[in-house]
Amino acid sequence: MKQFNPEGHTNHQFDVELNDVKHKVMTMGGLVESMVSDGLEALLTMNTELGTKVCEDDKTVNKLELEIDRECTRILARRQPAASDLRMVLAIIKTISDLERIGDEAEKLGRISLQMAEETDMPHYYKDLRHLGDHVKTMLREALDAFTRMDVEAAFSTAAKDEAIDTEYANLSRLLISHMMEHPALLSHALNMSWCARSLERIADHACNICEYVIYLVEGRDIRHADLDEMRKQILPAKHG
Amino acid sequence: MNHTDPTDSETSDADRSSTDTLGMTRSDTTAKVKASIKKRYARERRFRLYGLIAILSSLSFLAILVFTITKNGLPAFKQTFIQLDVTLDAKTLGLGDEPDQAQLLKANYNGTIKKALLAQFPDVKKRKDKKALYKLISKGGQYDLQRQVMESPDLIGQSKTVWLPAGDDASGYLKGMVDVTIPEKKRRFKDNQIEWIESLKQDNRVAERFNWTFFERGDSREPEMAGIKGALFGSILTLMVTLILSFPIAVASAIYLEEFAPRNKWTDIIEVNINNLAAVPSIVFGLLGLAVFINFFQLPRSAPVVGGLVLSLMTLPTIIISSRAALKSVPPSIRDAALGLGASNLQVVFHHVLPLALPGILTGTIIGMAQALGETAPLLMIGMVAFIVDVPATITDPATVLPVQIFQWADLPEKGFVEKTSAAIMVLLAFLVAMNTFAVILRRKFERKW
Amino acid sequence: MTSNNSDASTNTDTSSASSVTSSLGPLDLEKGQGTKEQSIEEIVASLGDTVGKTRVDNPKMSATGVDVFYADKQAIFGVDLDIANNEVISMIGPSGCGKSTLLRCLNRMNDTIPICKVTGELTLDGEDIYGRDTDPVLLRARVGMVFQKPNPFPKSIYENVAYGPRLHGLSRNKSELDDIVITSLRKAGIFEEVKDRLDAPGTGLSGGQQQRLCIARTIACSPEVILMDEPCSALDPIATAKIEELINELSENYAIAIVTHSMQQAARVSQRTAYFHLGKLVEVGHTADIFTNPRHELTEKYITGRFG
Repeated sequence: MKQFNPEGHTNHQFDVELNDVKHKVMTMGGLVESMVSDGLEALLTMNTELGTKVCEDDKTVNKLELEIDRECTRILARRQPAASDLRMVLAIIKTISDLERIGDEAEKLGRISLQMAEETDMPHYYKDLRHLGDHVKTMLREALDAFTRMDVEAAFSTAAKDEAIDTEYANLSRLLISHMMEHPALLSHALNMSWCARSLERIADHACNICEYVIYLVEGRDIRHADLDEMRKQILPAKHG
Repeated sequence: MNHTDPTDSETSDADRSSTDTLGMTRSDTTAKVKASIKKRYARERRFRLYGLIAILSSLSFLAILVFTITKNGLPAFKQTFIQLDVTLDAKTLGLGDEPDQAQLLKANYNGTIKKALLAQFPDVKKRKDKKALYKLISKGGQYDLQRQVMESPDLIGQSKTVWLPAGDDASGYLKGMVDVTIPEKKRRFKDNQIEWIESLKQDNRVAERFNWTFFERGDSREPEMAGIKGALFGSILTLMVTLILSFPIAVASAIYLEEFAPRNKWTDIIEVNINNLAAVPSIVFGLLGLAVFINFFQLPRSAPVVGGLVLSLMTLPTIIISSRAALKSVPPSIRDAALGLGASNLQVVFHHVLPLALPGILTGTIIGMAQALGETAPLLMIGMVAFIVDVPATITDPATVLPVQIFQWADLPEKGFVEKTSAAIMVLLAFLVAMNTFAVILRRKFERKW
Repeated sequence: MTSNNSDASTNTDTSSASSVTSSLGPLDLEKGQGTKEQSIEEIVASLGDTVGKTRVDNPKMSATGVDVFYADKQAIFGVDLDIANNEVISMIGPSGCGKSTLLRCLNRMNDTIPICKVTGELTLDGEDIYGRDTDPVLLRARVGMVFQKPNPFPKSIYENVAYGPRLHGLSRNKSELDDIVITSLRKAGIFEEVKDRLDAPGTGLSGGQQQRLCIARTIACSPEVILMDEPCSALDPIATAKIEELINELSENYAIAIVTHSMQQAARVSQRTAYFHLGKLVEVGHTADIFTNPRHELTEKYITGRFG
């Protein structure tokens, strides 16, 4: 099985640089993951403190994105990476932009949680929202794990979860619409909740993208806009069968 | 690893300290290098000094050599003439009324000159003194007179003022080479002869002129009449034979060995033998020439053709070795280029390799020729050491060559030959310098053709 | 060796990416490179079959099962490779991997080395170039070569270019020869720079100009294939860029095979890339594929700079 390994260059400094940037991506991923988790928590528990923290964290994420971008540019200019190294750098550049978007979505959750901090009663659809959020969190964690371990199989199975989340989001949306029709007074609240659900669904999409980058990185095959199952059949049996 | 790169991350600091493997800190190294650096420079200066001394000493040896030879040889390029009023009466000359050329040739010019001398110095009566007086004029003087008379026979019966070459001792005295402080008995040039010469000098009857005789005549027993022309022509003819024979043969062998011959046992043997031949003493080639060319092929003795053959044998290895070196030094990229364009091996050699190697080949040839020019030993063996007065016209005429001529003259007792020897050496050196100059010019010309 | 590439050679799918992954046999690479006691033959055997498509639809030259020996030492092991018309193929690999040797076999420049022996089949337009009735002189006129070091003859620029046509009698008179020289210099993109000094020595040009002059000299023989042995290794980046541009233009009319140590150069100029290792053709494929997603681990290691 192909395994990406940043080590082993004749020029050891190149190893160091690649590892460095990879670690930074993992740090960024961890930060974004906690932001999503915090944002969701702030929203569902009316925790303003957490909400503020998420908004603060987004700045760190943005800074990290710029930093990693700069480093990738430097590697491209100085090392002219080829093959797996090239794919690694390309995947990182794309991954961080997705991570940054996830950060933005998490920040949105945080901001909405601050807006809604005064409201005290907890509508029944919070339960569904938490359910969706938990799924998205899991998916994001798995995507980041797949990236860290360069695990194609995990990437495939994680990417496959996007569909379930989409369905869940559609259900939640329907629920919210009916809620809005029943309680027009709470329209703005429900609308905010709808935004949050949308954000979570987006985060899942970005996580799916990251999985696709992992597959590109390791296999050198671009599976975007292709049938996931078909690709999986092509790539995985060849490796294990 | 790139230590100087400021953008390297902090891990390179760890590397930096770990790569200091010699167990020395930087300042340690600097101190040690500083300590040794003075010594190193001193050694370098000393070595330069040695080199300079070596060059200066060899230059001074050369200067001493050139100086002595020039000092000894320069007088030989001047000839002293004495003016006499000769009366060319037919009686003294022993000629009839209508003398033909044969008679003119055999006429008694010597007597005429003697008479003129006696007329100049009427006081000389004693037979011994007369003999001494006659010696003032060279025995070659009569030939000069003979030539003049034969050119215009109507001179007979007239009186004429002629310049005649001074005798060996007289010219030596006039050139200041007789030490008058030595007691008369111990020197060849006597007091009365000095007296006569001085009186002639007072009458402005003595002159020094450039010695054309030296370049116009062949060898002679009389130093004042001996010339270098015979030996010079002998050398030129011999060298021509050598060049014509050895150059094409040597270059052809070098090209074959270097470019075409397969590398095997046989070519190795040939190569070793060629290298050995270059080291064989030249007299061995002389013996070979004697045995093969003269005894077996019955070629004439003392002839430039045999000399040339023998010298070719001697120069062949030199030219072959230097030609091979020159061919080898042609960059293989040129061969590749020509081969890559579809040239055959022969075309590669003749279109590209040979022209580029030519300067080197020519240098080798000239070195070989210079060697041949200075060679004496093998020529002694084939009889080119004979006393030959005539200037050789063809390669089968008996001849001698410059170094042999020098060798012969150096052996002769007459004082005049001392300066002749040095002068001949100067001519030989000039010949060599001319050849080398020619080589340099040729090389320049071919090199400028890129 | 003949059966080795049966599946790859019959494969006419141009997007080879999907089909050849399945042809990857079990590669025993760890054993292949690891232990030092193995002989070269064993290591080569452990490299497995050539990965990728060795055959093309319109081959100009093709090698089949080519082995090259220098005395007892085998330098090339059963190489199958096609050089296509109007295409640049680059050969890369570490030093001593046999890429230059194979290149020099293609116009029989190895003939000059007596201990060199070539077996297998090498064809130009289907004719065996090592056949009994193939003349190396004619072959070299059809398959030109440009060398690592610019090596113009120490003659004038004009003479340099005119040498080949004269040698082969390609022109009937002076004006025809002039035409050939000028056209060749134009094609080599150097005419404008030297048109005022055709009589000046070729060795007086700059390194890059000299190399283009050498290319002009090669073109002047109107070859069908041009072999280039590290043509830019002695040149500065600007001269290199000019040569690369020239290679690009020339590929419209010639089949070009270029050996290079610069992977970036191979990536820039060639349509196909062949990777050699220890005398074995390890992988061949479209340059874009080789440089983004090589399939053989050794190729990957080489082009990402992991040998050492």
